[in-house]
Amino acid sequence: MSCTSAPLAGVRIADFTIHAAGPFGTQLLAQLGAECIKIESKTRPDAFRKPHAVYGRMTAATFDQVSVNKLSVRLNLKQPEAVQLAKRLVSICDVAAESFRAGVMKRLGLGFEELRAVKPDIILLSLSSCGQSGPDSHFAGYAPLFGAWGGLGWMTGYADGPPVEMRHVMDHSAGIHAALAAMAALLQRRRTGKAQHVDLAARDVASAMIGDALIQASMGFTPARPGNSHLSFAPHGVYPTKQPDRWLTLAVRSDAEWRALLRELAQPVLSNDQRFATAEARLHHRDDLDALLTQSLASFDADTTAERLQCAGVCAHVSWSTLDIARDPHFRSRGATTEVSGADIPSRLAVGAPARFSKTSDVGIRRLTPALGQDEDYVFGELLGLSSAQRADLQRREVIL
Amino acid sequence: MVEPPGGSPLRTAPPLLDGTSQSALFAFLSSGKHSLVCDLLSQAARGALQDELETAHILIDDTPVRDRGVRNLDPDAVAKRFPRLIHVSVLPFGASGPKADWDAEEVNLLHAGGEGYLLPNGLSHERFPDRPPLKIYGHFSQYQGGAMAAFAALSAVWAAPEVGGQYVDVSVQDAVLSVGAFALQRLGDGSVEHRSTRRFRYGGVFEARGGFLEILTLEDRQWAALVELLGQPAWAQDETLRDPLERSRRGDEINQHIRAWMSRHNVDEIVQRAQQLGVPAAKYRTPADVIRGEHERSRGVVAPLILEGGKQAEVLVAPFQFRCTPLQTTGRVPVLGERLPGPVE
Repeated sequence: MSCTSAPLAGVRIADFTIHAAGPFGTQLLAQLGAECIKIESKTRPDAFRKPHAVYGRMTAATFDQVSVNKLSVRLNLKQPEAVQLAKRLVSICDVAAESFRAGVMKRLGLGFEELRAVKPDIILLSLSSCGQSGPDSHFAGYAPLFGAWGGLGWMTGYADGPPVEMRHVMDHSAGIHAALAAMAALLQRRRTGKAQHVDLAARDVASAMIGDALIQASMGFTPARPGNSHLSFAPHGVYPTKQPDRWLTLAVRSDAEWRALLRELAQPVLSNDQRFATAEARLHHRDDLDALLTQSLASFDADTTAERLQCAGVCAHVSWSTLDIARDPHFRSRGATTEVSGADIPSRLAVGAPARFSKTSDVGIRRLTPALGQDEDYVFGELLGLSSAQRADLQRREVIL
Repeated sequence: MVEPPGGSPLRTAPPLLDGTSQSALFAFLSSGKHSLVCDLLSQAARGALQDELETAHILIDDTPVRDRGVRNLDPDAVAKRFPRLIHVSVLPFGASGPKADWDAEEVNLLHAGGEGYLLPNGLSHERFPDRPPLKIYGHFSQYQGGAMAAFAALSAVWAAPEVGGQYVDVSVQDAVLSVGAFALQRLGDGSVEHRSTRRFRYGGVFEARGGFLEILTLEDRQWAALVELLGQPAWAQDETLRDPLERSRRGDEINQHIRAWMSRHNVDEIVQRAQQLGVPAAKYRTPADVIRGEHERSRGVVAPLILEGGKQAEVLVAPFQFRCTPLQTTGRVPVLGERLPGPVE
C-alpha cells in the first residue's frame, strides 16, 4: 500500500473507528497516502457492512466511501489475546484512531497509557459525541444529536419553524477536524518526540460552526435564526425558476452587483422601484424584494441564468442535486469526483482527492472497500510475523473473528 | 493575518455585537491571530509580505486566480522565491477547472456542493414542504473548506522534509461535496436523495413541552429503551415491531405515537430519562445554552476573549483538545496593523 509520492506516505494508522465520523477522518488521511489498517470483527463490523434500516437501506452498502484505501483485519476485542495483538499493531503505528464511547478503550485495556507503554510517541485520536471528560461524556449520539447539542441545529431553520437536524455532513465535518487535529499532533510529535491524546467531541465541532453566535450569546445577546437571509446582503437566498424544483441561489453584495443583476434580468418592476435603490434600502425592504424577485425569476431558466449572472459578476449557482454533481465536468477535472469499479462493483462515481498537491500528487482513491479481514496476510503475517498456523489457531479460538 | 489598508472586510461582517461596530464573526475567526497591514497592490508595500514569507511555513491565500498576478501571488512565482514555503490556495471553486473563476458566497456554495438541495429534511420539511431549500446557519460550507485547507496545509508541511515546499489547491465546493459524500454513494446504489425523502423513517426532531429534542435509535437495544421511555405503550408491544425493517416500514405511524407522547412531557425530563435508559436523545440547545453549558465549561471548551477596546466576551477555543499539552485558552481580537513589519519575536 505504499505510495511514495503522497504527502502522508509512511504514516501508519491503527483504525478502530467503525461509524461515519471516525472512518471519514481516517479515510481523508488514507486518501493522502497514510496506510490505514481497519480493525473490525464479524460481531463489530463497519456500519456500512450492515443494513441501515432507519435510513431506509435494507442491505449492506455495495461500496463504502469511508473505507477506501483502507486495509481490513479482524480482531475480537472481547478476547485478551486480541487486545494484545491490537497493542502489537499499535506499537508499529503512528496513530491509533478510535470512536468508542468515553472509557471503553480503557476498559478494553487499550487506553492512552496502555498504548503509550507499547509505543511511547503514539498519537491517540479519540473521536466521540461528547468528548472524554465532562458530565455528558458517557452520552451516545449520532450526527443529528451533535447538531442539537452543539447549537447548530437550533440556529438552522426557518425563523418560524422548528430546528433542523444535521445529517452526515455533521459527522464528516467532525471527521475533517479529526484528520486536521491528527496532523497537528503528528507535527508536534516530530518536534517534541512525545505522545499526544487528541480528544475530539463532535458536538464541539457543531458548536464551532456557530462560533459568532456563541460570542453574541456570551455577551447577553440572543442571536436570531436567519434562515436563508443575510444580515448585510439583499437579495440573498434561494429562488424558484421556471423549472419545477430547480432553484437559483443568489447573493448580491453591493450596489454594483445589484445593477448587474438588473441588467441581466431586465425587469422594470425591480429596476424602477426606489425601495431597492441602495443596499440599506434593499435590506429594509427585503421581504418585498424577495417576493418580486421570486415572481420575476419564475420565467427564467435556472442554469443559463446562473451562467449569465456569473459572467456579469453576480454570485449565483443552481441548487444542485446529486445528479448535477455526477454530471459536472468541473468536479471531474479536479479529481473531486472519480469513477471507480471493482470485481463486484460496477463502475460508479465516488468522491476523490480532497485537495490537489503540486508535488505529492499521488492523492485520491487507490483501492476500494476491503472485504472483512482481507489484508491479514500482510498485517498479521508480514507486519506482526504471525505464522499461518498461529493465525489458524487464533481463528479457531475466535480471537480472530 | 495580512489585511489591506482599512482592514479585512470581515471586520465589519455581520453579525455585529449589539451596540458596537465590532463583528462577532471577525472576533471568532481572528482570536489569537496577529494583524499585519499590507497593500498588495503597491509594489513598495508588498515587501512587508515578502519579508514575512522568508520565515513563514505556510501561506494561505484566497486571492481570486485573475487577481494573483497584480498582487505578486502567482503560485509559480511564489514557489520560485520561496522554495520551502507551503502555498495553499482556498477558493470557492478551487484554482483549476472550468469554474475556477466563478465567485460565490456561502448560500451558493452549500448548494453547489449538493447539501443545500437536501435541506431542510424531517420535521421542518414536513411543516413547510413548499418553501425553498434552506441553508445551514452561518458559514458551514466555507468552514469545511477552511478545515480542509488547514488539513491539506499540515499534510504538506509533513511532507516538506522530503519534497520541500509545494502548492496546494483547495476548493470549498469540493469540501462540501466531500462531507456530503454519502449522497453520491447512494446515487451509485441507485437512489437520488431529495429533502422530501431524506428523513429517518422514525425518530428525528420532536416538539415537547419547553423545547425541541432529537431522538434517533439505530440499534435494537436503543429501540427497546425508547419503548421503555414511552412507558411500554400497547402499540409498541406489537411483536412485528421487533424487526427493524418493519419499524422502518411503519415509521410514520411510530412517529405519530412518539409525537403525541412528547407533546405531553417536558423536554429536559425526557432527555435526562432517555440518556439514563440508553436512548440517544439530545435537546436542541440555543447558543446561550451552549456557552453556559456545564459540560462545555468543565471541558474547558469555552474561554475568555478580549475584544478591541477591552470588553470581554467568551469564545469556543477549538473543537478538539490536546490532553497532554492543553491549548492556550485566553484569546484576543487583534487591532488592525498591531503587528509591524519585521521579524517575529
